Amino acid sequence: MKETELLILGAGPAGLAAAIEAVKAGSKVTLVDENPFPGGQIYRQFDRGFKVSDAKVLGRDFGRGQKLLAEFERVRDRVDYFSMSTVWGIFPNNEVTLLLQEQSQRIRFQKLIVAAGAYDRPVPFPGWTLPGVFTAGGAQRLVKTQRVLPGEKILLAGSGPLQLALANQIVDAGGNVEAIAEAGTIENWFRLIHASRGQWQLIADALKYIWGIRRAGIPMLRGHIIVEARGEQQVEEAVIAEVDENWRPKPGRQRTLIVDTVCVGYGFTPSTGITRLAKCEHQYDPLQGGWLPVRGKNMETSNPDIYAAGDCTGIAGSMAAIDEGRIAGIAASCSLEKISPTEADRRAEPSRQRLASRKPLLQVLNEISMPRPGLFELATDDTIVCRCEEIRLREISEVLLQGAVSMNEVKRLTRMGMGNCQGRMCAPALQEIIALQKKMPPADLGSLTPRPPLCPVPLQVLQES
Amino acid sequence: MENRRVERGVKRGPVFEIEVDGETMLAYEGETIAAVLIAGGRRIFNRSPKINRNRGIYCGIGLCYECVMVVDGIPNRRACRQLATPGCRVESQAGLGPWEGQQ
Repeated sequence: MKETELLILGAGPAGLAAAIEAVKAGSKVTLVDENPFPGGQIYRQFDRGFKVSDAKVLGRDFGRGQKLLAEFERVRDRVDYFSMSTVWGIFPNNEVTLLLQEQSQRIRFQKLIVAAGAYDRPVPFPGWTLPGVFTAGGAQRLVKTQRVLPGEKILLAGSGPLQLALANQIVDAGGNVEAIAEAGTIENWFRLIHASRGQWQLIADALKYIWGIRRAGIPMLRGHIIVEARGEQQVEEAVIAEVDENWRPKPGRQRTLIVDTVCVGYGFTPSTGITRLAKCEHQYDPLQGGWLPVRGKNMETSNPDIYAAGDCTGIAGSMAAIDEGRIAGIAASCSLEKISPTEADRRAEPSRQRLASRKPLLQVLNEISMPRPGLFELATDDTIVCRCEEIRLREISEVLLQGAVSMNEVKRLTRMGMGNCQGRMCAPALQEIIALQKKMPPADLGSLTPRPPLCPVPLQVLQES
Repeated sequence: MENRRVERGVKRGPVFEIEVDGETMLAYEGETIAAVLIAGGRRIFNRSPKINRNRGIYCGIGLCYECVMVVDGIPNRRACRQLATPGCRVESQAGLGPWEGQQ
């Protein structure tokens, strides 16, 4: 058993910023992350073997990441850093259990900062389990840090700015994007530009992306969503449809595109497994991606020993994650009595100001990306909605008719959410799908109760713990 | 063989061979098994346990377990996270994979 003053889970933007501030304040920090190198998904570094010969083609996030990583390097020798380590449990005695190299490790903390990040919101539609359907984030990771194109003829389908970035990355890498189906309408982009006033860098980025798409001659189909992926062994074509403002397909406005790859990105959903397992209070906010831990102004959750920062608390992006991480690192150090409350406030003030100034833009971004009901009506009776347990929507609907009224009841009756991914891929959309069928607010269905282990763990490791 | 590797912006490290379902594929240091397969135009990684359908990489960041394969005889390895190593033997996984004492 290892003991630490401050344990930070996740070495993405929020976790790194928290570690930097906490070390500066004098806290003894243990940092845990599942990847080989710090950076998280957005500032993901190349694996050993790759050498960056031209950082410019890798985009501005890469540059920003390098800056934060350099700041972290200056304090790294004072951080106990566990890479390649996955958290699989958190227990009431302030103990966290890790899986590292097929071994178990227990860590007891005085204070904890959860910076677990987010992942692409999975959305079921007919054919979404065919090989060749990727999440936009997964495809981006392949292109950005493995430098491999996901396919030959690619359709991007989703909502919001990630699609624009991904299209440009694919084109810059020499790939073919056949079309972009953007669920939102042109008005969205006007609203976005309006809300970005003063954030010239962001506007410049967006214009560069839009210009890149035009120059490559990629059709930008606004007000369109993907309704089906088809193919015998893998994706061979995709059906897209023009939709109304609720993203419901208009009759007779479908067409089929010959593609071998579909990248789907309807925004992100926060990773809340750890905070939910720790029984921190959560609330449902579809605008920020689903269930979110309730927090105070110091990023503290309903458990006074646990803080949470970054996208695992609601989708706000990497810039906000850095500032939230800094505030959490400072506040946790203050509660460890490393610095005074006055000093903590002084140190946190610049981050608080930046967070406040970005709020209006964030609101618009989240409104644009937030899925409309039509998206959750795409799955048919035969569509697999829980990939791991291979549960079809029909089986879910049946238990709803029999009277199931909560996510947990549906889980117990169907095994939905009981497989390898522990509901990460099915629960976010099912929360909305079931709510629509039941005509209930999604929050009233409750959330799936997580249990340890949060991810598949070899029996031998459980035994050691 | 198809090659979807992008040369722009990076230099790759040493190249080596791996075995995928009995065939030889080229991999570069630092590439995940998923990247090697996708670069070679292969995207069917396993057959699902209950209804026996093709599955491949989906989330790409280690959360969905859709890309599991048998690597050096050990089933349920996530191809999107596991790095290719010289001479490693990768097999498509059928269902839950081969377990000791059972085939």
